Amino acid sequence: MKKLLLSSLFIVMLLSVVACGGSEGTSGDQVDLSIFNIKVETKDQLENLIEKYEEEFPDVNIELTTVGGGQDAPAALQAKFASNDEPNIFLLGGLSDAEKYQDYLIDVSEMESAKTAIDGTLEGAMIDDVPYGIPLNIEGFGWMINKDIFEQAGIDLASIDSYQAFVEAVDTLESNKEELGLEAVFGFSGREDWVVGQYSAHFSSAEFDHSVVGAYESPELTYEFGDRFKEYTDIMNTHNVQPILSLDYSTSVEELFVGEKVAIIHQGNWIIPTLDSIDQDFASEKLGILPFFIESDTDGKIVAGPSWFWGINGQKDEAQVEQAKHFIDWMYTSDYGKDKIMTDFKYIPSHEGYDVDKLTDTVSKDIYQMLLDGQNGIWANNQYPDGFFSTVLFPELQKYLNGDQSWEEFTTTTSDQYKEMR
Amino acid sequence: MQFKKLTYWMFLAPTLLAILFVIIIPFIQGINYSFTDYNGFQINEYVGLDNYIRLLQDGKFLDSMIFTALFSVVSVIGINAIGLGLALIVTQRANKISTVFRTIYFMPNLIGGIILGFIWQFIFLKAFEGLGDLTGIEGFYGWLADTKTGFWGLVILFVWQMSGYIMVIYISFLNNVPDELLEASRIDGANSWQRFIHIKFPLIAPAFTISLFLTLSNAFKVYDQNMALTGGGPFSSTEMATMNIYNSAFKLNEMGYAQAKAVVFLIIIATISLIQIYFTRKREVDL
Repeated sequence: MKKLLLSSLFIVMLLSVVACGGSEGTSGDQVDLSIFNIKVETKDQLENLIEKYEEEFPDVNIELTTVGGGQDAPAALQAKFASNDEPNIFLLGGLSDAEKYQDYLIDVSEMESAKTAIDGTLEGAMIDDVPYGIPLNIEGFGWMINKDIFEQAGIDLASIDSYQAFVEAVDTLESNKEELGLEAVFGFSGREDWVVGQYSAHFSSAEFDHSVVGAYESPELTYEFGDRFKEYTDIMNTHNVQPILSLDYSTSVEELFVGEKVAIIHQGNWIIPTLDSIDQDFASEKLGILPFFIESDTDGKIVAGPSWFWGINGQKDEAQVEQAKHFIDWMYTSDYGKDKIMTDFKYIPSHEGYDVDKLTDTVSKDIYQMLLDGQNGIWANNQYPDGFFSTVLFPELQKYLNGDQSWEEFTTTTSDQYKEMR
Repeated sequence: MQFKKLTYWMFLAPTLLAILFVIIIPFIQGINYSFTDYNGFQINEYVGLDNYIRLLQDGKFLDSMIFTALFSVVSVIGINAIGLGLALIVTQRANKISTVFRTIYFMPNLIGGIILGFIWQFIFLKAFEGLGDLTGIEGFYGWLADTKTGFWGLVILFVWQMSGYIMVIYISFLNNVPDELLEASRIDGANSWQRFIHIKFPLIAPAFTISLFLTLSNAFKVYDQNMALTGGGPFSSTEMATMNIYNSAFKLNEMGYAQAKAVVFLIIIATISLIQIYFTRKREVDL
């Protein structure tokens, strides 16, 4: 009898341990929010912003999860949903994400931060004219250059207004490599799938008439500007640091580019905080951006636009949904938030009513200006079929870069796969 | 008697429940998913054997299986040869120094695969380049930039990680070889090579069963080292089966198809392991 008592006691203890683990402590009017952040670069800034928000609104408790960088963030987000641990606020990478999470997302059109968003920036997360996300910021990419090296080589930046002028500039740099102390002209990181994906966006954006919805709905990728794609790729590959296939992001940006061993890399304005942390004056004094000349030899464009959108989970209780909306509105429309977005996050704002002079580097201003002038392509790479850029485009282009297949083979394989995956 | 049975099951219950919830149920669920077009969110329809038929024609998956098989063969041989070698060396004499060496050899096994991958990435990319600059030997350049060096990079990493662990298994068996047998053979005039091949080798046969099984199944299941070191690159040529499965599940959002691949993968590993155990068991000798 004693033994039976003991063992039942044991079972009861076990059960109570399990039960304790399951319950969550919520009390009073406290609202708990969870945010799933993918932008690792600005994790600290977001944390500070949240802290400030919690100070102003003591009833709110926000828990931030940041996944990204080397990790597979979209997979982690999906896992959160699969395990019924959905965050209140999370980042959408474009239309396919918006469609995927559509059942959860709320219509944001009534939100203050949606009304002040720059015209057209909501399009990237809009399904049937209903916007489902607030643009996080504007990001732009193209050829990032070291203006200092260009000047030393005697190249006038204003003169690079056509494809031919760009090629000439590369040749000039190549012939003066020794004096300039360059290892190579380009430092393209051919190991990173996302760099390759973004690089391809210049050409596919032109093919899709720079329309987000057009890109998302296009049934095929025909390489309308494939010739120019090949020309750029060949120039880049010939003058790149080799082996290009194992050149990773950090070597490319943090060593070669900052160390002035290469003059041109393919990156976007998100590298600015990194550059600042290594060399304070680099971004403000030496960093420049050059456009791609694709549709015609003189029509230069960079890719710029919102690449991420804050989506708000509507399948939570009312108080949480309202609080989540309030947080995002506060972040983008309060004076404190506005100031931090530019000075601390160093984001190019995606909303109106910002004092752009607060941006410290010229590249951010350039990108903002080009966006306003309509001299921009779209993030076409975010509208490719799921996994297309990392499992098809990236390896196939790597094969081309390595000389393992011809350009025709590259375009045929990738457009076939594109059609199949769409 | 009745009572004893009850307590027996009561003490077993927590573990059984845990296994049921984290292994058996997901396993059955996974097999079920492999017949659907599950995309990670919802199941639209049951597609029967379509996923299985499709994977037989999936060149990339087959390539990754071949790559994994090659990798496994080479690393199993490497790990067991080096592990046994290390075990023989550190069991020569039992003193403090040999204990220190045992610890050192075992250490790589304590580091996680991801970190190991990044450490070796640094070695292959940066340190090798430095060595190349110093010595002028071409072979040090361009590691991980082509399939061949990517393959050997992975093998080196994995052998380095697992050898110490396998060494420990061999040590415990080597220590159990009866001294009187070794002494008798010494009196009979056997040299150390003959003692190894005719006495120790047959007596540690059970160690081979265990070690081969562990290394074989671990080599097939490598993921984190692969992810961190080469990421499947260049051009997916060093993508192992596990990474291929992961990519179709989470990058292409084809969970159902990925489950089918996983089921096939499981059957292959299980078959190979069972065959291996059957044959190595046959070689074991009883004292």
